[in-house]
Amino acid sequence: MAQLNYRTINIDVLDPDSSINFPMDTLLPATLPAPTTSSAAAAVAGEVRQLLRGGDPEAALRHVLDTAPLGGDERAKEVHLAAVTEVLQGIRQGEMSRVLEGVCTGEGGAGRADCLMKYLYKGMASPVSNQTPRKSVSPQNTGFSQIQGRNLGEGGGGQQMSVLLSWHEKLVELVGTGSIVRVMTDRRTV
Amino acid sequence: MAAPEVHHLFHNPIADHSFSPDKSTLAVARDNSVELYEKSGSKFSLSDELKGHEKTVTGVDIAPSSGRIVTCSQDRNAYVWERTSSGWKPTLVLLRINRAATFVRWSPSEQKFAVGSGARVIAVCYFEEENDWWISKHLKKPIRSTITALAWHPNSVLLAAGSTDSHARVLSSFIKGVDTRPEPSAWGERLPFNTICGEYLNDSAGWIHGVSFSPSGNALAFTGHDSSITVVYPSAPEQPPRAMLNVTTRLLPFNSLVWNGENEIIAAGHDCEPYRLRGDESGWQLAGTIENKSGHGADTAREESALHMFRQMDLKGQTQADIQLKSTHQNTISTVRPYEETDGVLRKFSTSGVDGRVVIWTV
Repeated sequence: MAQLNYRTINIDVLDPDSSINFPMDTLLPATLPAPTTSSAAAAVAGEVRQLLRGGDPEAALRHVLDTAPLGGDERAKEVHLAAVTEVLQGIRQGEMSRVLEGVCTGEGGAGRADCLMKYLYKGMASPVSNQTPRKSVSPQNTGFSQIQGRNLGEGGGGQQMSVLLSWHEKLVELVGTGSIVRVMTDRRTV
Repeated sequence: MAAPEVHHLFHNPIADHSFSPDKSTLAVARDNSVELYEKSGSKFSLSDELKGHEKTVTGVDIAPSSGRIVTCSQDRNAYVWERTSSGWKPTLVLLRINRAATFVRWSPSEQKFAVGSGARVIAVCYFEEENDWWISKHLKKPIRSTITALAWHPNSVLLAAGSTDSHARVLSSFIKGVDTRPEPSAWGERLPFNTICGEYLNDSAGWIHGVSFSPSGNALAFTGHDSSITVVYPSAPEQPPRAMLNVTTRLLPFNSLVWNGENEIIAAGHDCEPYRLRGDESGWQLAGTIENKSGHGADTAREESALHMFRQMDLKGQTQADIQLKSTHQNTISTVRPYEETDGVLRKFSTSGVDGRVVIWTV
């Protein structure tokens, strides 16, 4: 029998009461929308592109935030992130404040603002497309995301970053720091 | 509105504070001990120290009618302190927990108190005559993480608990021989020990920092690290609540909240000032801060000579040091408590925080 090195066994995994085995799905509210697939996300991306081309950036942003795949799989989320980034980049600097005010007020406006904030942070956290995505350096699989390969502003990523940062500035002005805090607590990730 | 009464006690964080019912004694948790301050004139001066805990004291509560003080600490112990002719005498409580105790409150009947802990249990403690000590019964069932806050229903049986698993729960702590059978309410009719009367989760989750029952006990408010406040109106036992209203704010998270009547909540936390929320079953709204900032500048008056200006520019590279917050508290507020009330309507409330201040506010 192979020698077992008992010191290297992660005993926390075997303990049902350990925090590693905390059921993360208990933090998801019952109102979570049904899972969507990447093809549905791609369809949304098509509709959004049409709205954007039609010269209605406000409706495009509203639509893309309302259809966020909160319950979808990783692939769907990635496709949707690309769609959101496209909308954000497609809106001119001068129009930002007006569009944001329209999107973040009225029925469900607060929810859309929080959702947009999630996308801004996700966009800033995800590596640039031409880099190979580095593996997360989380030492334990705790379910909490940790530092990932950052976009350090080289190449084409720098421009995308500056767009996200100016959106971030405008959004914080409008909805305050509370929205940033909610990005950290909310388990309905985008 | 009268200016708040500020007592700057020391330069350490205050984890919890409690006033005696006649407001002459103030107990504050400071590091490993609880300090008792007596009122002399308009100030509070240190009069006694309750020593016995070996680690940071996390909770202190003075029972209004018996005058007993209960304290709990990260050393996993709780003590009940009674005043004797030779000073305060502690009695150890058998908590039977293997993690830090985080929060303690007397029930309104003062027959029991509840201790929250990191061991994922709430110890409901009561006095056992024949053995002459305080023993505990554990509320365990659906709790998945550390208890951060507790609040008693006026009937002394129902207990609200906030936890780091993002849920606020209402549980029954009925103990035979200690409690009288409670009146049936919207929370439940028969309430044996550890009945789960409600379990609530916000959409945006977040650790729960504060829970509180409305004066009638027919509504529950809780606040969490998602900078929101949720108010729950139960409908009937085993039924989903009649209304569950969530107010997301643009502020930093709140740590603690109290009700002022049935239609107002006062909450305070990381923004260093108390805020007011108003509403009813149809909706709640943030009504603004209670702080009156206009009168603040008087204590920042400083020398304005040219010599002073140049000296400051030389020393610090700026003419005015910008080191004071505009709020009364200079750091996070950790506890909000009622100070003076009639039938659940507050006239005054007190706050304490990380800046070592206890402030009494007029509503």
